[in-house]
Formats: sequence, structure tokens, C-alpha cells
Amino acid sequence: MKSFLQNTWKHRAHVIMALPVFLVLFFIMYVPLYGLTMAFREYDLMEGLLGSPWVGLKNFEFIYKTGPLFLRMTRNTLIYYVIFTAVGTFLNVTLAVALDQFVFKKFGKTMQTMMIIPIFISYAAVQFIVSAFLDPNGIFNSLMGTNYAFYSKSMAGAWPLILTIVKIWNSVGYGSVLYMSVLAGVDTSLYEAAEIDGASRWQRIWHITLPALIPMITVMLLLSVGSVMKSDTGLFYQVTKNVGELYETTQVVDSYVLDAIKKTTNMGYTGVASLFQSVVGLLLMLFANGLVRKIAPDDALF
Amino acid sequence: MSETSKKMSETSKKKSKNNSADLAASRADKKGIGQYILGACLLLYTLFCALPVLLVFIVAFTDEASIRTNGISFFPSAWSLEGMRAVLKYGSRLANSYMVTIFITVVGTLLGLLIMSMYAYAISRPDFRLSKFLSIYLLIPMLFNGGMLSGYLVFCGIYGLKDSLLLLILPLCVSTMNVIILRTYIANSIPAELMEAAKIDGAGEYRTFFQITLPLLKPSLAAVGFMMATAYWNDWQNAMMYISSPEKQPLQMLLVNIQKNLDFLLNNTNVPADAIQAMGGSIPQKSATMATVVVVIAPIMVIYPFFQKYFIKGLTVGSVKG
Repeated sequence: MKSFLQNTWKHRAHVIMALPVFLVLFFIMYVPLYGLTMAFREYDLMEGLLGSPWVGLKNFEFIYKTGPLFLRMTRNTLIYYVIFTAVGTFLNVTLAVALDQFVFKKFGKTMQTMMIIPIFISYAAVQFIVSAFLDPNGIFNSLMGTNYAFYSKSMAGAWPLILTIVKIWNSVGYGSVLYMSVLAGVDTSLYEAAEIDGASRWQRIWHITLPALIPMITVMLLLSVGSVMKSDTGLFYQVTKNVGELYETTQVVDSYVLDAIKKTTNMGYTGVASLFQSVVGLLLMLFANGLVRKIAPDDALF
Repeated sequence: MSETSKKMSETSKKKSKNNSADLAASRADKKGIGQYILGACLLLYTLFCALPVLLVFIVAFTDEASIRTNGISFFPSAWSLEGMRAVLKYGSRLANSYMVTIFITVVGTLLGLLIMSMYAYAISRPDFRLSKFLSIYLLIPMLFNGGMLSGYLVFCGIYGLKDSLLLLILPLCVSTMNVIILRTYIANSIPAELMEAAKIDGAGEYRTFFQITLPLLKPSLAAVGFMMATAYWNDWQNAMMYISSPEKQPLQMLLVNIQKNLDFLLNNTNVPADAIQAMGGSIPQKSATMATVVVVIAPIMVIYPFFQKYFIKGLTVGSVKG
């Protein structure tokens, strides 16, 4: 203990350097954990969090009492996570391999620059782009000669597809950068040896390129598992314009929470949804990390 | 976590051994038909990414009457500067939002870079026993946090910071991932001997950090800084939850508010005249709306190509692991 204190004193300059982030994390990330107690309180608008009386488990009636609401947003959250992760990972890897195989490097680089741009456009702006395509007088309807009202109940079924396309547009170009960086590190002699042994291009991709990507894919999946319950809020809140008629297929836990905060309604229920999000996120993260520890200990997060 | 950083240093060494130029040279001799098909597919995907962005610019300069009669199109029948003019009519409000956004972006990014690199430097010191605790302390918020609602309740209810610009800056200022990227860069790409030499020459801890480490950290700072600046520039969520006074609204809120007004008009057929007055005299029009989008997204489009190099390299070297 004494040597530990001595060591800390010797490194006092480093303690001081670490202090600002320590404090920011403390006040911005750690203290707000207390806000999770909202799940057990009845919200008092005038008194705020600390003045809200405790009500035990009463708010948890939200899970069964509001009918299918809770079930619906949980289901949507999970389904979108699975679709986005599966389609996203597949396309990220495909695009990375394609750009890596492409021999006209300069041209490839220029195209990549354009592919990355959408990630830098906020969803508050993206909603206008999407509605330029989907509005009654938008591109889609004029090209097809149709008259669909996309932002209404009758078209709710189309939104999972629309949101998936928007998500791909937004994130695949950027997502592939990481995988490309891995491919740039693959030992070239492996390819040369395979070529001498008579392996075709496809065989080389299958036996050299893809195995090289597996660790990164594992890490990315693992990282994403912890945020299953946290969706890309803007995609569901802004791009759908938060239209109530589309909630059936578009409302996720995050957009419900944001909407509730905005309207300051049902804070107790929202507290339950929040707590659910955090706890499930933690459990999934621990589970996924444990799993990776078993199969590929080198790639575990902690 | 120290194990993983060691591992990362190995992979990054491997990476630097053969750069992508050699790779391209070894395969450049095969420009078969397959390459052209591949090129065509990549070009299609590029168009898929770029055309919607191009559409924003086209609509912003399309004549409003042409939109009313023919709908939105990539090939409008008439062009007009009316949309841009309508946006500039916002005048002081637009300029004000610009100032707020630039302020939070610059202050937030610089502050974040400074304190995060100090933290990253501190926890990567060998023989610093507290660094183990500090690493775990850094990791926990990524695994378990209160989420949006808890933040809202605590920031507004307990800290009493509602409508404060601090809430636009601090929540985006520190992220576990960014500290890890910086720490990995320090561990892998800055030789420890350099820091030791500085110490032998009599430089104190702070001087070593500010004069040796920080300048060498530049590529990683550029990458992380650009990502942070984009996050600040694009943030609408914190503004929507916390900011109520009009003079503190950042740029993205202009877009959110335009949408709100459009919804309001759509749902209310009898809009009182004073409400329309409040919206700037007329119903927001398509071209004007898109012109606003242009004003909001253009700065990033202009700056991004200059940072792309750093930003890809920073991601590469930093990798993503903790």
C-alpha cells in the first residue's frame, strides 16, 4: 500500500493530466447512472428527479399494461439490429474486398471518397433527402408514375426496407474503411505463394483475404452486441419524421425514449424502458465477450 | 487491456512493413475483363451514394414552380436562385446559428483533444500503478451507462444546466473509443526512448508531453479531431433535448424546426396569419428547404477531402480495440 502511494506521488503529474477526463466522465457518465432510479419513481415535473417520490415496482406495469407497445418496440429494436448487422457486415466486407482487389487504385480511391460522404450528413438533413425521394411529388412517385403516400399507415410495411437502404447508404462506405485497413496489412508473400501454387483469384480471396478479416469481424460484432438496445436514434426519429402512423414498423426503444423526453410524458414508463436498455446492453456485452473469450481469446474485449 | 495494446502494436508493425503501394504493384499486371466488371459495380455503388447528395444541390437551385408542376427531378425544367435567397432572408438567425455551431465545434473539439490525449498519455506510462484503475474507469461507461433519459434528468434536474451551451459541449467531449485510439497510437507509434531522452535532458513531465508527445500525436489528433468536429457539427439530439432559447439554437436545429413547421402546416388547414408571419412570411418551400440543407452540410463536404488522409490513417493505426 505504501509503495502504491509512493508510486502515485511519483506520478503526480500524470494524475493531474488524467484528472480532466476523470471529472468529465464522472459528471457526464457516472453520476447520471443515478437517473436510472427513475424506473422506480413517479415523476414530479416541478421537483425533478430528486423530488420524485418512490413508487416501487409500479412503473413496471408498463411492460404488460400498455398493450403491445413495449413488446412492439423491443421487437423492432431487435429486428433492425439483426438486419442492419447482417446486411451491414456483409456489405462492409464485400466492399472492402472489392476495393482491395480493384487494380485501378487512384480511381478506387476517388470512388471511396464519395462513398464515405453520407456518414457525415446528419439525420436531421437526411430526412429531407429521403422525403425528396418519397414525397407525393418526389422522385420515386414521378419515376414510377405511382401515387404512394409513404408517410402514412398504408405504407408502414415498406419502411423496414426504406430504413435499411438509408442505413446502407449512410454507413457502408465508412464501415468498409476499417476492413480495408486490415487487408492492407495482409502479407503480400501469401498471395504470391498462392499464385505460384496455381490458386485462382476466387480461391485466393476465399483462403487468404477472408480469413484475414475474421478477427476484425469478430471484434466489430462484439462491439455492436453491447449496443443492441441502442439504435441509430436519428434514423428512426428523424428519417421517419417521427410519424405516429409508422410506429408499428419503425418505433424502437431509443426513439420512444427521445419522444417521451421531448413531450415529458410517461417518465416513469420511460425510466423502465431506459433501465431495460442499459441492463440488457450490459448483459449482452458480458455474454458476447465471454463467448469470444472461449472461441478466440485473443479477440476478447476485456 | 495492456495485453491487447501489446497485440495491437504487433499488428500495426506488421501493417507498416508492407504498404499498400507494394500490394498494388504486385497485382497491377492483371487488368482483365473482370477488373472492368468490378469497376462498373463499384461505380454503380458510388452513384448510389453520391446522387442523393447531388439531388440536394439540384433541388436547392430548382425553380419552385417547376417542382409544383413536374415534381422533384434530377433534371429540372427551370433553375432559380429563389431558394438560396429565401435562406439568406433568415439573415441574422442563420448567422447566429452558424456562430453557435462553430463555437461548440471548435471549443468542444479542442478541449476534447487536449484532455483526452493527456489521459491517454497518462494511462500509457509504464510503471504508473494507478493506470490499471484508470483504464477500467474509462471502459465501464462503454459497457453500462444511463442512456438518454438519465442524462436528461440529471443534467437538467440536478445540475440545473437546462438551456446551457455546456450541454452541447460536454456530453460529446470525451469518448472511450477516442481515448483508446489515442492511447494505441502513443503506445505504438511514439518511441518510448524519445520520452526518456527528453527526461534525461531535464524536461519535466508536462514539457515532455506538450513538446514531444503532442506534436508526434498529430496524425491521430487529426483523425480523432475530424470525427469529433463532425459529431459536434451534426448534433441535433442534445440541442433538441436541452436548448430552448432561440439565440442558442445550433444549425441542425434550423433543419429540425423547418420540419416541425412543415408538419404543423400539413396538419392544420386553417393556419392563422400570424403563425405564417412567425415562420418568415411564407410557407417553407421545397427549394428553400433544400437550400437550408445545403448551407448546413456544405462546410463538411468542403473540409472532408482535406482530412480524409488522416482520418483513414488514424482509424488504421488506432484500430478499434480496447
